[in-house]
Amino acid sequence: MLGRRILQFFLIFALGLLMLMGVKYGLGLSDYVIPGPGEIITTSQAVAQDYFFDTLNTLMVAVIGQCISIFMAFFVGITARKSTWAGTLIKAAAYNIQAYPIVAVAPIIFILLGDGFISRLLIAAMICYFPLLLSVIGIMAEPITDMEHFYIATGRMRWQLEVKIRAFENMAKLTTVIAGSSTLAMAGTIVAEFIAANQGIGHSIRIALYQSDLSRILTALFLIGLFLSIYQEILEGVGKRLTSGWILPKGVENEDL
Amino acid sequence: MKTSNRLAPIIIVALLLVSFTGQAANCKETLNYRLKWLFNTSVVGDLYALDHGFFQRAGLTVNVKAGGPERDAIRELELGHATFGVASADQVIRARAKGAPVVVIAQLFQVNPLQWIYRGVKPAINTPSDLKGRILGVTFGGNDETIMRTLMARAGLTEKDVTLFSVRYDYTPFYQDRVDVWPCYKNAQGIMLADKLGRAGEAVQFFNPADHGITFVANSVVTSQKTLERNPQLVRAFAKALVSGWEASLMPENRNKALAVLQKYNRDTPGDLRQKQLDATRTLVLPGDGARVGTIDVKGWKQTEAIMLEQGLIPKPVHVEKALFPEGNPL
Repeated sequence: MLGRRILQFFLIFALGLLMLMGVKYGLGLSDYVIPGPGEIITTSQAVAQDYFFDTLNTLMVAVIGQCISIFMAFFVGITARKSTWAGTLIKAAAYNIQAYPIVAVAPIIFILLGDGFISRLLIAAMICYFPLLLSVIGIMAEPITDMEHFYIATGRMRWQLEVKIRAFENMAKLTTVIAGSSTLAMAGTIVAEFIAANQGIGHSIRIALYQSDLSRILTALFLIGLFLSIYQEILEGVGKRLTSGWILPKGVENEDL
Repeated sequence: MKTSNRLAPIIIVALLLVSFTGQAANCKETLNYRLKWLFNTSVVGDLYALDHGFFQRAGLTVNVKAGGPERDAIRELELGHATFGVASADQVIRARAKGAPVVVIAQLFQVNPLQWIYRGVKPAINTPSDLKGRILGVTFGGNDETIMRTLMARAGLTEKDVTLFSVRYDYTPFYQDRVDVWPCYKNAQGIMLADKLGRAGEAVQFFNPADHGITFVANSVVTSQKTLERNPQLVRAFAKALVSGWEASLMPENRNKALAVLQKYNRDTPGDLRQKQLDATRTLVLPGDGARVGTIDVKGWKQTEAIMLEQGLIPKPVHVEKALFPEGNPL
């Protein structure tokens, strides 16, 4: 059975296509501006296999980039959760780095690291990590007074325990943010490929743009959306399992509550 | 609430339609002229015509808009966002192949500025066969890839005989000598690259596909079939004003005025390079074979179409000569 995310994606994509067709036929536009259904089908059949592997390639980089950004966000978020001098400095540095648009920084990355895997990975991680960081800082800086008070009063509070309590209490929020950040990781990888890489679906989109071929771009968008929906579905599933495992006693399902 | 949800897509489509038709209506007052690329020496005549009142004297209010990699003048013509534009020949042929009603009213470059630069110390490329064993820069999907593949095919070379290197806007791989030949506009980036390498004591050479029988037409001025049919006087007036502007900008006695226009719109390029770029542009727009500015090289267009057909970039002939201004030259 199709997951909720995938079903939603199909629906949104179909609506988008219908709207494009509405504009095309409403304004009498040629296939050069907006291709007709026949051309879209023919083109997608012709490029489907290549684009499938291109998208898979992009997704792999995005997943690794997201893992790195999760690690970075937690590291910075946990270190910077206190209003200490070091915490404030880390927070300021993290915010400032994000202030530079990635398209301006990307060429420097490509000059230093070449146009291969590492550059794509780094850019994906850079685009993905900031929203994660904001959420992690927000969660980690907010005390769970009821629980923490006991440990503080009994002198048993350590930083590891503090982090665990705050993560535990906000598990649903964290999993939602992580699932959502996969979109940014994918977008970051595509941007990197678009700017300079020689692989991935972003590279294919760039070639299609050069050739003014909207059918190819629509095929690429379809595959990106599909892969992303599947990945998000998996992440949400893992998040649900984690939450159930931590919070609920054995034999009790989420729905039972 | 439910009714408003159902109405939302209809409202969005209606707004889109209104915005497109609204733009088309505005063209009656101000004519949008979408260039292919950013303001640089390759568009000196367009800017000169604007700044020196050529359009104004023809009774036209023209808004010259910079292009860019994400801009497509032909799409803008059809959507009513522009009345005139600049497009490369391959764009025009692709668009015609997909039923876009675009027509060419003037051809700006008589010689395609797109050539390959290479270091003077490297073995000279006298024939396409000399490309064998080299690392060739191409923009995958771009018209330079089409031209290079045609050259290779003519020389009987396959991809196994050369290494194709993906080119972007960053010239570092060429500076680092990781690529043997690099595609560039000879009158724009070519001058800049030659200058940079020259300062490092390195001479450069250019490899021009036209010298080896490959004529691939470059930028031309386009409009829609509808505009041409409904308002031929407007098209004629625009083309005449534009071509006059180009001619004036390239006259040696107007050199300083043309450089002043470039200084105004393209401040980032150093003055000495702008001068060299302007001189190089003159040789490409006015090659000295008696052809006037704007002359449409029908034979060149046909060869461009034949190349695209050969490379599988269009599924069947489009008879591009039908897209060229009926008299060959608007003047």
